[in-house]
Amino acid sequence: MNADAALSTRGLVAGYERDLPVVRGVDFAVQPGELVVVLGPNGAGKSTFVKAIAGIVPVFGGSVALGSDDITCLPAHEKIARGLAFVPQTENIFSTLTIFENLELAADILPRPLRRERIASVEAIFPDLAKRPNLRAGQLSGGQRQMLAVARALIVNPRVLILDEPSAGLSPRIVAEVFANLAAINRSGVTIILVEQNVKAALAIAHRGVVLVEGVLRHEGPAATLAHDPIIAELYLGIAPPAKAEA
Amino acid sequence: MIELISYGAFFLTVALTYAITCLGLNVQWGQTGLFNVGVAGFVGIGAYASALLTTPDDPVRLGGFGLPIIVGWLGAMAAAGLLSLLVGLLTIRLRADYLAIATFGVAVVVQLCALNLEPLTGGPFGIGFIPRPFGWLAEDRMTFGLLNLGIVAVTTLGVYLGLERLLRSPWGRVLRAIREDEQAALALGKNAFAFRLQAFVIGGAIMGLAGAVQAHFIGFIAPENYVPMLTFQVWAMLIVGGSGNNRGAVLGAVLVWAVWAASAALISAVVPPEAQARAAALQIVMIGLAICVMLLVRPRGILGEVRTVSRHVNEASGKK
Amino acid sequence: MILQALMNGLIAGTMIGLGAIGITLTYSILRFANFAHGELISWGAYAALGVSSALATAYAPLATPIGPFSFGWSLPIGLLASMVLTGLLALLVDVLLFGRLRARKSAVIILVMAGFGAALTLRSLLEFLVTSKPAYFTNALQIAVKLAPGLRATPDQLLSLAVSAILVLAVHLLLSHTAIGRAMRAVSENQQLAALAGVDVRQTIRIVWLLGAALAAVAGVMAGLLVQIRPHMGHDLLLPLFAAAILGGIGSVPGAMLGGLIVGLTEALAVQFIGAEWRAAVAFVILVAVLLLRPQGLFGRPA
Repeated sequence: MNADAALSTRGLVAGYERDLPVVRGVDFAVQPGELVVVLGPNGAGKSTFVKAIAGIVPVFGGSVALGSDDITCLPAHEKIARGLAFVPQTENIFSTLTIFENLELAADILPRPLRRERIASVEAIFPDLAKRPNLRAGQLSGGQRQMLAVARALIVNPRVLILDEPSAGLSPRIVAEVFANLAAINRSGVTIILVEQNVKAALAIAHRGVVLVEGVLRHEGPAATLAHDPIIAELYLGIAPPAKAEA
Repeated sequence: MIELISYGAFFLTVALTYAITCLGLNVQWGQTGLFNVGVAGFVGIGAYASALLTTPDDPVRLGGFGLPIIVGWLGAMAAAGLLSLLVGLLTIRLRADYLAIATFGVAVVVQLCALNLEPLTGGPFGIGFIPRPFGWLAEDRMTFGLLNLGIVAVTTLGVYLGLERLLRSPWGRVLRAIREDEQAALALGKNAFAFRLQAFVIGGAIMGLAGAVQAHFIGFIAPENYVPMLTFQVWAMLIVGGSGNNRGAVLGAVLVWAVWAASAALISAVVPPEAQARAAALQIVMIGLAICVMLLVRPRGILGEVRTVSRHVNEASGKK
Repeated sequence: MILQALMNGLIAGTMIGLGAIGITLTYSILRFANFAHGELISWGAYAALGVSSALATAYAPLATPIGPFSFGWSLPIGLLASMVLTGLLALLVDVLLFGRLRARKSAVIILVMAGFGAALTLRSLLEFLVTSKPAYFTNALQIAVKLAPGLRATPDQLLSLAVSAILVLAVHLLLSHTAIGRAMRAVSENQQLAALAGVDVRQTIRIVWLLGAALAAVAGVMAGLLVQIRPHMGHDLLLPLFAAAILGGIGSVPGAMLGGLIVGLTEALAVQFIGAEWRAAVAFVILVAVLLLRPQGLFGRPA
């Protein structure tokens, strides 16, 4: 266990069927205050990886730790109580509840005195949400939903925030807004793990990146280095790396 | 000895009429995944249709056309098939449990109609004098019993073989594909709704046939024959024997009916008359528990599902 | 005449509505039509009868009718006890049966079948225990009060209406203004997301069972008080319950009560104009109409 890390996994094996694990033994760690991006081609298991950490995909082997606590077998609702918040890619807000109720729900696990204060501070980060608290969340646009989803996760003041492709389906301008928000949240002290296909935007705000290929961690490095790494180009754009000089 | 054979024939005949119902239910549930909670209604409508077509004319009642038994049976299939068509059109496109609720309601209404539409159905007294196959031999109980057993057995066999063939045919394959992976089947251009509806109607028609066969064997029918109890018994039979499996349907029918008849005999022999109604309630508890336990422990039933691809596979796979 | 029929329909409707609320809650949160819900109504009535009779036997003054009503304090106490007992029964069935099937990710239809088997078991077990003879909470006769020309109601009936109204309001407030209500609505929409948001889904499910069963017990006691208590009483209400819940829109508590009222009133009018023997068909006709015209019900959302 990497006890200094905000979150770490050791030999994590996870998937939907025991005989066919999607995540095939991943050692990973993120330091407090870091913003790490998980990259990789489609089907690499990025989503499954973070979902396994969050507790919504079965874990078949290995372990997950939050700080020095082993949280591998904890049910999902207890993980958030410990400070691990997860924002799924799709269906990440409650459409049938109002904006305010979405936030209230998240705050329900906090001690009563804290609830109002936390909702207020999250509304300060996303002032648009405070404007129409009684609007049914189902009527929000894609970008606003994403904001609400992140807001909901932030209510509990998480130590670690995981997001699964927050830019999916959003227009470039909204994506820029979302990423700016995430960078600001990270600067305020929240450790962030980001699964993303939008490599450029993600690496621009990240400290470090890791590359998952076929369920295994293949590369990692500082964000700036990875941004220019030909491996990334190959994985995402199909551009072949320069031919190696033959002896 | 003759008593034993007579009783055995009687028992097996009734068991097989349940088997026919089970086979029909299997088409709806085992092959198509449709949960019909109103089996009694479809059986009942078949019975009444056949009775109305074949009984002699009665001034008190409409119907009574005195037609041959086989016409009655075909009429039963048509009536039950039509009812299935209407119910299916209404509910198959909706959630699975809405079909369950709707069929539950259908059975309630069918029984209510049987009770209340006296000019048509004879009301609570039902319809009697339903012509029995080889009726002229009724005096000779053993011969009569064995001949009737023969007819019912042949009918059951016919339905069984017909369904087995249907299963292994292209139609059956599409149905299975729809059940296993609807998206893929739809992508292939198969109209899932149409196939499901066809299966529902075929299953319903077979249930109607069972009702008719039963009616002609016993000779009279009344609304109290077609109560939820019948539906529960048939479901228990299918779940115990093996849903998705025609052989399981027949096995389940005979097995559960045997347990039912044996426990009924036990109750009437052992339990004092005042307590018999209460003991009968325990019999039903047994059926309910059997359903729950089987669903928990072995949802596939005793025989489980036989995976078939095509009747040509065995031939082609090198069984020279 | 018609006014009286409407009053009868209103009263029957509130009973159906209470039962339908329980069905709509379990349906929307547990995602299956629970055929065993009717049995909770029957067991609820008998449990209340048992406790109430025991109390009255042990301490006779408890049987003395309170004010204008036909029952003594033994009945309300019996009702409260029954709400707890019926809740425990529902939890037991969930632990033994539904919960296990859910853990196995069984298809919805398997859950429905299991509910069907459980209903049969519970109903016949009850019949075995208490026989099918009708029972009554009280032998005291009630004088109907004249409310308007051609309209009479007994104090018991008026009390039932009041209790139903209070309960519907209470449940509605619970769902809309409390944490547990939010949790229930969240689980109803997206169980996985609810867990991620910190909701203890298992605990929420347990509470849904308790709430649904408690309402069923109240419906059973009302029906037992105003009509009679029989083991089949819940089963006979099942079709009207489902019709009401679907008419109101699955998941809507006000919808379930409104659906119940509509079913009750329509049944009463049908009895008035067509005949009592066709009453059971009314719920079916309403159900078919809803499925044909607006399957999502009055307050439900289109699929």
